[in-house]
Amino acid sequence: MMTTFAPSALSGYLIVSGLLLAIGFIGFFVRRNLIVMFLCTELMFQGAAIAFVAVGRYYFDYSGQVMVIFILTVAAAEAALALALVVLLHRQNNTLDADAFGELQE
Amino acid sequence: MDLFLPYIACVTLALTMYAALRPSPLSMQVTMVAIGVAASGWLIGIVTGSLSAFNEVSHGIFFIIFSLCAVAAAIRMVTHERPIYCALYFVLIVVSTAGLLLMLEAEFMAFALIIVYAGAILITYMFVLMLANQAENPEEPYSQAIYDRIPREPAAAVAIGFLLLCLLTGTVTGGASSLPPEGDGTSQWYVLEKLSHQFETNVLEIAPDFAWPPISEDGHVIQFGSSGPYIVSGDGTVLELDEAMLPTNTQMVGWSLVNDFPVTIELAGVILLMAMFGAAVLARRAIELTEKEKRKVILGHDSEEVGDDR
Repeated sequence: MMTTFAPSALSGYLIVSGLLLAIGFIGFFVRRNLIVMFLCTELMFQGAAIAFVAVGRYYFDYSGQVMVIFILTVAAAEAALALALVVLLHRQNNTLDADAFGELQE
Repeated sequence: MDLFLPYIACVTLALTMYAALRPSPLSMQVTMVAIGVAASGWLIGIVTGSLSAFNEVSHGIFFIIFSLCAVAAAIRMVTHERPIYCALYFVLIVVSTAGLLLMLEAEFMAFALIIVYAGAILITYMFVLMLANQAENPEEPYSQAIYDRIPREPAAAVAIGFLLLCLLTGTVTGGASSLPPEGDGTSQWYVLEKLSHQFETNVLEIAPDFAWPPISEDGHVIQFGSSGPYIVSGDGTVLELDEAMLPTNTQMVGWSLVNDFPVTIELAGVILLMAMFGAAVLARRAIELTEKEKRKVILGHDSEEVGDDR
């Protein structure tokens, strides 16, 4: 419980969080399905959560875990709103292609 | 040369991602994921050094397993052409992340992540996917829509994504040695001090004849000696404290949540309320009612009966 946490172990966790962040970032730009794009943002949230908890563990500071609670809140709110929007757009155009909504601009 | 090894791993991963994004048969996809996992394992290995960086070797082994699972599932999720499978691979990522959080002694967050992400958010995604994802061609129900098969600008996205990864890698490899020293855990004891009832119960359990309350020095009851934390009672008895007395992880998170971030909790509540309103407003469907139907809705019965009565 009180054991300290070596800096190189911390870098390992930070690299994993960076990998998840980068892969989610690529997915967000590459995928054309609206729902999968939002899933990729959730993947980026996961990377951020790992980094928060790892740094919090390194300093015995529990604020990192509290931040993950707020990430969960924001992710839930984002999922509800984004999915409502997707359902609305799908009803209008009958497609999930993000490029098909280019003409929404006036 | 050692300086460039992490970047070579990053570039390998980038090329693998680019190859995996192109439409290809399953065996090719699996090979690409294997190469990607090997490259990320190499990168993690370079950065971490050896398993001795972890307090226990088993921690290191579990860390490697969970992180490689997460990376493999992430690559597969981004490249898979069927959205339902993407959502299922995301569940695997959430479970691996929860495993990593367990390795970081964040038990509460690990299980909260599984319950909220895999249990609630992902179910919502699955609902909407199944609602919206009909096959374009009814004669071939297993063919995917064109926008799921052909990626958009894979080369540019992979290039930018791995610039980001190289930057992060450079920061982590170069910056970890210059970090401020790690915490020593004294703050945990100060939280125990404030949880006075639990503190008293724990102390009286191991030393029933301890004269409560202990005396405080410099504002703190708990003092730190060469052999660890101790408290001094009013009659001069010294009692060394045991680590089993510390608050659990969940208690510490709860303490930090309500003690350090009270306003943020209120804000989180407002965000959730607004999301609920927004979703309800967005997803509602306007129904056109005729004059007669409106009257029926308002009066609660058919208006013609009213006319007959009169």
